[in-house]
Amino acid sequence: MPDAPLIGPYSPDGILAWEADGPRTARQFLSDVSRLADSLPDRPAVLNLLSSRYEFLVGFAAALLRGQLTLLPQSRALQTLRRIAGDYRESYCLTNRDEPVEGIESVALQRHGSLAGWPKRIPQIPLDQVAAVAFTSGSTGQPMPNKKTWGALTAVAWATGARLGLKASAPASVVATVPHQHMFGLEASVMLPIMHGWVMHAGRPLFPADIRDALADVEGARILVTTPLHLRACVTEGLRVPPVGLILSATAPLPRSLAQEAERHFQTEVHEIFGFAEAGSVAERRTVAGDHWRLLDGVRLVRDQQDQQDLQGRMAWKAQASYLPAAIRVPDRIVVEADGRFIVHGREADQVNIAGHRVSLGDLNQKLLAIDGVQDGVFFLPDEGAEFVTRLIACVVAPGKTVEDIQQALRTRIDPVFLPRPLLLVPRLPRNETGKLPREALLKLAEPHGQGEG
Amino acid sequence: MTDSAASPLEPAIANLIVQTLKLKVDPSAIDPTQALFGDGLGLDSIDALELSLAISQTYGYQLKSSDPEIKAVFSSLRALSTAIEKNRTK
Repeated sequence: MPDAPLIGPYSPDGILAWEADGPRTARQFLSDVSRLADSLPDRPAVLNLLSSRYEFLVGFAAALLRGQLTLLPQSRALQTLRRIAGDYRESYCLTNRDEPVEGIESVALQRHGSLAGWPKRIPQIPLDQVAAVAFTSGSTGQPMPNKKTWGALTAVAWATGARLGLKASAPASVVATVPHQHMFGLEASVMLPIMHGWVMHAGRPLFPADIRDALADVEGARILVTTPLHLRACVTEGLRVPPVGLILSATAPLPRSLAQEAERHFQTEVHEIFGFAEAGSVAERRTVAGDHWRLLDGVRLVRDQQDQQDLQGRMAWKAQASYLPAAIRVPDRIVVEADGRFIVHGREADQVNIAGHRVSLGDLNQKLLAIDGVQDGVFFLPDEGAEFVTRLIACVVAPGKTVEDIQQALRTRIDPVFLPRPLLLVPRLPRNETGKLPREALLKLAEPHGQGEG
Repeated sequence: MTDSAASPLEPAIANLIVQTLKLKVDPSAIDPTQALFGDGLGLDSIDALELSLAISQTYGYQLKSSDPEIKAVFSSLRALSTAIEKNRTK
């Protein structure tokens, strides 16, 4: 089987990453990786929870060398971690020091300063080796595993770089506000820079002033990998930032007006990536240039033969690529033009996106119903208003329980971004004769609480 | 940062939090020493981002994660109010 090197074209003393206290050379990185690889326990899979992007990468690379799967949970909720650890026998967590995960064997990353020699040959990873498993939220309440081979991760990194006209030889630095444990973050903030021999900033800036400082840390063409939410914050705050070469946004649709403001504010092009955890990044567009997405090289769309057209004549599609084991259903309703470009018409009904995090409402409902004392309950998304982020609402039937009881139980089960606001305790849900919950009835139920106290 | 005396800004900041984040609580009912994030008021990092914009626009204080005191600043309504009072530029 062919293989591909662990990292792109770095010289031994070229900067591979930028941590809070300064640069890390490629030599230091390979040295850190080989030391950690030697000390990892002999297990098939690892939950890499390291919060520094550099340390995460060291853990990921060490796991690759040892042939261990890196598991990427979609949330840090304790029950999610335990469920995944339970599904992958003998898996363990790689964690920050002093942050072991209760109930799962945790190995803390140790950092030592000593430096090993530059290897004769950069370690090679077989293209068919499953490098990572990204979990998505399925309607059954079970985390759904999506296997990512080293071939898929490297192919997407190269295809993304090529589409954006970025060259491996030109010095560039990637600063990212997105988590590296999520699929887009892994692809755009980790794989993209290390395959091209660029600098990867280890931080995960949140506030506009953090983003400015992280950009100022690094040199060369700066690439900001981010989300519409962070772009909105930067534009609103209006802080002056160092020159940025390119902005890459994903995880939620970027409104064209915001893209225009962001291009003005940062004086650069804003490109969007369309993708989903099951297939990874599949298409790109410059948002201000129009609604159409262009597929990345190597990706094709085919009709989903099992699917019926919906009322608007739209059909489900599948994405195909040589590095994907099978054609994968696109979780959005899309309309594809003859030339392969396409327009997105929103997520399928069960899927919602809150601040860039996608989840199945069915999954959330299952987790809600699994709580002790909950007799019935439902999550739904109200119509979007003027808020920064529209949050979910939950209506719950749980006699004898308080709102705080339920919220507390939810906190251990779901990502905080999906916690309901508000959570309403009701005597019964407005189910119709078929047991379904009409959206209008739910909105009406939530209405008196929309204004003020509740 | 310790829980010292209440800052005179406390009621205004409580209002700012409730209005910015559209929380369904009475601002005067927020315990000034209660945790804002996680188990207390239950805020998350998106709230922190949104709140930081409101604080910057109203008081000219730009929050930064690299500030060694950031965790303390966001630990409670009282700590946040005290920090804003100390760092405000408008």
